[in-house]
Amino acid sequence: MNTGRPLTALIADDEAPMRDLLRARLQSAWPDLQIVAEAANGVEAVELGERHRPDIAFLDIRMPGLSGIEAARRLYPHSHIVFATAYDQYALDAFEQGALDYLLKPVTAERLATTCARLRTRMQARAQAPADAPQDIGQQLARLASLLENKGAPKPPTGYLRWIQAQVGSSLRMVSTREVLFFQSDEKYTRVQTATSEFLIRKTLKELLDELDPEEFWRVHRSTLVRVDAIAEVARDSRGRQMLKLKNYAGELEVSRNHSYLFQQM
Amino acid sequence: MKASQINRGIDFLRDAGREASVIGWRFFDWLAVVEWRRLALTWLIVLVGFGMLNTPEPAVWFIFLSFGIKVLAGGKRKAELQAKEATLQANVATLERRLMEAKMAALQAQVEPHFLFNTLALIGQLIETNPPEAARVHAHLIDYLRSTLPQMRARDNGSLGKQVELSKAYLSIMQARMKERLKVKFEVPLFLHSAPFPPMMLQTLIENSIKHGLEPKIEGGTVNVRAFVVDTALHVEVCDDGVGIDLHADDGVGLANIRERLQLLYGAEAELVIAMPPGGGACATIRLPYKMMEEA
Repeated sequence: MNTGRPLTALIADDEAPMRDLLRARLQSAWPDLQIVAEAANGVEAVELGERHRPDIAFLDIRMPGLSGIEAARRLYPHSHIVFATAYDQYALDAFEQGALDYLLKPVTAERLATTCARLRTRMQARAQAPADAPQDIGQQLARLASLLENKGAPKPPTGYLRWIQAQVGSSLRMVSTREVLFFQSDEKYTRVQTATSEFLIRKTLKELLDELDPEEFWRVHRSTLVRVDAIAEVARDSRGRQMLKLKNYAGELEVSRNHSYLFQQM
Repeated sequence: MKASQINRGIDFLRDAGREASVIGWRFFDWLAVVEWRRLALTWLIVLVGFGMLNTPEPAVWFIFLSFGIKVLAGGKRKAELQAKEATLQANVATLERRLMEAKMAALQAQVEPHFLFNTLALIGQLIETNPPEAARVHAHLIDYLRSTLPQMRARDNGSLGKQVELSKAYLSIMQARMKERLKVKFEVPLFLHSAPFPPMMLQTLIENSIKHGLEPKIEGGTVNVRAFVVDTALHVEVCDDGVGIDLHADDGVGLANIRERLQLLYGAEAELVIAMPPGGGACATIRLPYKMMEEA
């Protein structure tokens, strides 16, 4: 427009109906804007964005492959980013505070008109003072990415092992660490005990100790790792050894002298 | 010494008085609620008993007095006692129901706002481009909400057939959104539709499959729901060919809830098994005791 050539745009959304709607709305709200590419996932968005270098990239936040925010971190030096989302509380909060543009889905004609007007002014300003603040945008995107990682994502990956794999027949049985009562090393194998079954795995107790959440599992004996939540009570037997009684399990586990400090004053 | 003896005497009298009044009230309550037929029988026994001792006078007094009390105050007392009993029972029942409801509400999967907003956005856009499709998705959303929100949940939800139907509503919505990226296969024989199956478990497994298995996968995949009976156990299996399980990802509230509810409902007879089949993806199987029909 101000530069003489028409502005270009990219639309990225994993849901085809949403792309259709945004395209239709953009065509009526901003007929001069050329939609040069449409992507169905984050990887495609980056690929097409780098190839076409559109002036504006409309990115859905939750997409397979790469999230919209990850894609934005690759595209922002060349394209002005506008996020589209139906619901992402944390992202919306971040948008309100920052200078990033966003659209709420479903995109209504009125709201899109406002956004387009704002985009026009921004693009004008950008044309007059190029590369004014991409660094700032980069920082904002990084903050947003970590925000979503921490709060918006289904569950924060903690880095600790949450699933134990045990070979049962031809398939790999997945035992959640929440099901496990204790691990016990058994010569060659490690025994995994749950309330209902018992499995043998090749992972050694040492490896488990390194990979499991130390808050979730305690080593109570050279050969035993117990899930803290599964402990029902600690008692002394006739020989003065500390014994653990577990919930949903009939047997008892011995606490070795080296580890008895874990249960002092309990 | 003397004073203490007197005190002891007074204590004894007081105790005796209390006991007498308790017995008196018990007798009164008994009179109030006892049937006339049984009271007449008691009178006969008393009359015969005292008659054999040749002193019928106390028996006559007893009959006369109890008749009077029963007629004059019995009705009121009986109503009072019944009311008390009913209140107590009602309280216990209410408490039990509330506790159960609270437990179930806490344990059942919640409607994810993200899902709700996305579906509403989809309906909003379909109203303009494809109204019949909008109406279809809208109807599916209502079915889904009815099954998910506790206050809307119908009573007859507990059969496998019903659960399959509700899951199909959810899957239809997801198919409208994900298009060809989501394929669905149901292998649930008709004769298993009447089998009792707890609500919201199948949905949770299917939602997990889509959310963690298929949505992150660019080309998408298939959700396969199968039900079959092995010996006396009903197996309901949800498999996908998605990205599989991240060993470091928390197993989430959904699965933990299913485990807890199975434990509450069936104890050790039920189990949730998660597996990664050799071909990739993930499989979740609920195994529980098989019954043909819900007990009346």
